[in-house]
Amino acid sequence: MNLLAVGIAAGLAALGASIGIGLIVSRTVEGVSRQPEARGPLMSIMFIGIGVVEAVPIIAIVISFMLMFMF
Amino acid sequence: MEHGSPLFELELFGLPIIFELSTVLMVVISSLVTFLIFALMARNIAVRPTGRVQIALEILVNFVRGMITGNMSWAQGGKFHFLALTLITYIFVANFIGIPFMFAAPDEASTLWWKSPTADPTITLTLAALMIIMTHYYGVQERGMGDYVKSYFEPTWWMAPLKFLEEFTYNLTLGLRLYGNVYAGEILLTLLVTLVMSGSIIATLGFIPMVVWQAFKVFISGIQAFIFVMLTMVYISHKISADH
Repeated sequence: MNLLAVGIAAGLAALGASIGIGLIVSRTVEGVSRQPEARGPLMSIMFIGIGVVEAVPIIAIVISFMLMFMF
Repeated sequence: MEHGSPLFELELFGLPIIFELSTVLMVVISSLVTFLIFALMARNIAVRPTGRVQIALEILVNFVRGMITGNMSWAQGGKFHFLALTLITYIFVANFIGIPFMFAAPDEASTLWWKSPTADPTITLTLAALMIIMTHYYGVQERGMGDYVKSYFEPTWWMAPLKFLEEFTYNLTLGLRLYGNVYAGEILLTLLVTLVMSGSIIATLGFIPMVVWQAFKVFISGIQAFIFVMLTMVYISHKISADH
């Protein structure tokens, strides 16, 4: 039962994270193609955004590790 | 494949304090590696650079400088230059050090001795807490106690509980992001090693995804070190600049 919960948690976390990061990167590519000279600042903003988005699924992954190994 | 961890328990005022000895060992080793990298790279620096080593060091220093100037003015942020430089190198080394190989002692619990120190939540949450406490210190020092307290009640007073809670969220996400990335990577590496060692001929092909994953993990190590330092600088600039 725990393994099922781990699978669901990790899968949903991966789904949400990939959608979110995909949106961020696609908008960054759009911005760079409109304004190629703004590539440097846009890239660093993109990485900050990815970092912020990624924190939530990573917490879900940590919780699924806890479910797998501790209970 | 389960690994035991070498624990050392210390009784202090009736409270048990548990040290994980492998983490302590790896923190010392990665600090030494970071020190040696800079000591060897900066051994003979000249005004006119002669070798590639100094060029590489200058690129790194300028990169960190660019990260700071992207967030705050150099007059305010210049004093965080060496902090950011040390932090980004240390976290990168600490993430990287568990990738090439691992060492588990050949006892019955297969105690894990060589790993990334950042694959331990204690280390990453401590680093994050240190950084967050430092942002508060510099916030008070740069803006004064009155402005620092007032910044919690901007733009309206009922934002204060949320802003107070936000500081703990910063700490939690900053630490757990680094821990989760490194630990998940190490778990996947362990699983792939178990697959390769499982004995069947076809499973030996598992070394191909292992090499690919190791290369990707080097990339992740760099990105995570970058994000940790970048977010630390963003939080510092939120605290010390008056326009927020």
